Amino acid sequence: MAHKNLAARTAASVQRTSLAGRVFLCVVAAYLLIPFLATLVYSLFVEWTDILPSGFTLRNYQELFTNAVFWASIGRTLVLCLVSVAITIVLILLAMYVVVAVNRKVAPVMQFLCMIPYALQGVILSIGIISLYTGTGTILSNRMFMLFGAYTILVLPYIYQGIRNALNSIDAGMLIQAAEMLGCGRFRAYVQVVLPNILSGILVSSLLAESIIFGDFVLANNIAGTNYQNIQVFLQANMDVSSGLSSAIVVVIFVVVALVTALVLKLQGAAQNNAKEQA
Amino acid sequence: MAYIEFKDVVKRFGDNTVLDHISFGIQRGDLVTLLGPSGCGKSTLLRCLSGLESVTEGSIVLDGRDVTNVPASKRNIGMVFQQYSLFPNMTVEQNVAFGLKMKKVPKGQIAKKVADAIEMVELKGKERAYPANLSGGQQQRAALARSIVTEPSVLLLDEPLSAIDAKLRKALQSRIREIHKELGLTTIFVTHDQDEAMVMSDVIQLFHSGRIEQAGSPVEVYTNPISEFAASFIGSYNQLTAGQFSRLTGAMIPKGNVVAVRPETIGISLERPEEAEGAYVVRGTVVDSTPRGNVLRYTVNVGETTLRVDVLFRSFHMFDNLDTVWLTLPEHDCLCIPAEAAA
Repeated sequence: MAHKNLAARTAASVQRTSLAGRVFLCVVAAYLLIPFLATLVYSLFVEWTDILPSGFTLRNYQELFTNAVFWASIGRTLVLCLVSVAITIVLILLAMYVVVAVNRKVAPVMQFLCMIPYALQGVILSIGIISLYTGTGTILSNRMFMLFGAYTILVLPYIYQGIRNALNSIDAGMLIQAAEMLGCGRFRAYVQVVLPNILSGILVSSLLAESIIFGDFVLANNIAGTNYQNIQVFLQANMDVSSGLSSAIVVVIFVVVALVTALVLKLQGAAQNNAKEQA
Repeated sequence: MAYIEFKDVVKRFGDNTVLDHISFGIQRGDLVTLLGPSGCGKSTLLRCLSGLESVTEGSIVLDGRDVTNVPASKRNIGMVFQQYSLFPNMTVEQNVAFGLKMKKVPKGQIAKKVADAIEMVELKGKERAYPANLSGGQQQRAALARSIVTEPSVLLLDEPLSAIDAKLRKALQSRIREIHKELGLTTIFVTHDQDEAMVMSDVIQLFHSGRIEQAGSPVEVYTNPISEFAASFIGSYNQLTAGQFSRLTGAMIPKGNVVAVRPETIGISLERPEEAEGAYVVRGTVVDSTPRGNVLRYTVNVGETTLRVDVLFRSFHMFDNLDTVWLTLPEHDCLCIPAEAAA
């Protein structure tokens, strides 16, 4: 009898804890969603000068979605995200191969170099890049390439930290040595054994980097401006046109980032399953 | 000619000499243990043989071929690491098959070899399990299967059982020994545990500060330590200076030597033994007793000296603290060792 009472009390306690956890989670989620919901609501009304708005409309979205410049800026932002993040990931992965498989002594140098961009203000970085490469007549004097380069530097610390932590968590050096003892070359071991195990770390850090690039205005505006307009520059250009339209742009940015995140997470799941099946 | 030969091998990390002119040979099919305390260089030597570490000076010959500068992946040496190092994203089956795939073994043969190796280490039924879902002992057996399935010329075991509980460790010691006999594989085992070395080895190479202190069969090394270090590391020997020994027994030994006596060779009784020919008999006082499994260890003060005495643990109250007891030290078990041999 005593046992049953104890079990029932324990079960009730677990249920209460679980319920409290869910309520807390819902409250936090609601709080975090307030800015998004407020912006969404604002973008859906005709005018909101009184206590209540004067009417409901999808006019802002219709205007936005029929604007070719908007779609072009979305496309450019996605290209900037993908290319810059991809370049950074490849660079960091190659550098980390040297750190874990060839010479561990370079790890502090690598860390120092990758942390430098944390200290760089966007304005300083953009002006530095412009003054260094403008008018050189090389491919790097192209504003678009400058922007790719600037974003590659900007996201370097975030991707480095993510990949380094993922490598440390699996003791990559030992795994490579174990693979070497089984007849596998070092680089092949890095690609076939280590990379599948740090895939989630790479994807999580690339998501963070992607959201940083998506939210950047300073670098894009200073380096490329209207020559290669990204979504933030497009938003800034439309701020004075209509506050409803600006809100609609912000909502679309939110949704696009959410969609890209969902897509990457789905790809991550598929890639991990694939790696397990192929191994 | 030995199957594996270390010729004057030196390994330095900066100014620190980890291996100091190591030279010895290993016969084909032997199970050799590199025994020694932490930091003595035994794992470094193993890693030099594996190719994971380069040597600073000297050379390593494997089956008549100089492998000193051959990459690890080309030496055909199997290795089991202390941390298991199984590939986390692969099942047991996939881990074991990895080396065979690297060697481009035909697919049809891989499945059979993998199944045999898994059966040999008694992991049948766990083929589809991921390392994270295995116990420490199972992970170590999977690592062992992965290393032997490629039929390496040498199997290296780098403290493979140090993270495993005592009971399982004993079972795995036996299994490794059985597998070694079954396959006739030349095996080098690194451990800091002298009991493990005794159980496992055909030959023990006792390391101390980057040098080989003593080599021989477990019985030779245990019963005939040649230095103070060997005596203290291998058998918990009582060690007495020449002065202490002569004051205790009246016997004289040359200066610059120590006398080493194993605790289990010393007899202990409440009454003075009537017949003690060929033995030294001394009187002492029990000051402590410690159960050590099937052995009870007494600490006995004899004049200025303290001796450890081991007896079979038949009863806890054979002797009480402060009991006056008589100790019998057989002369032939009092080993005279040069003191200067100690590092």
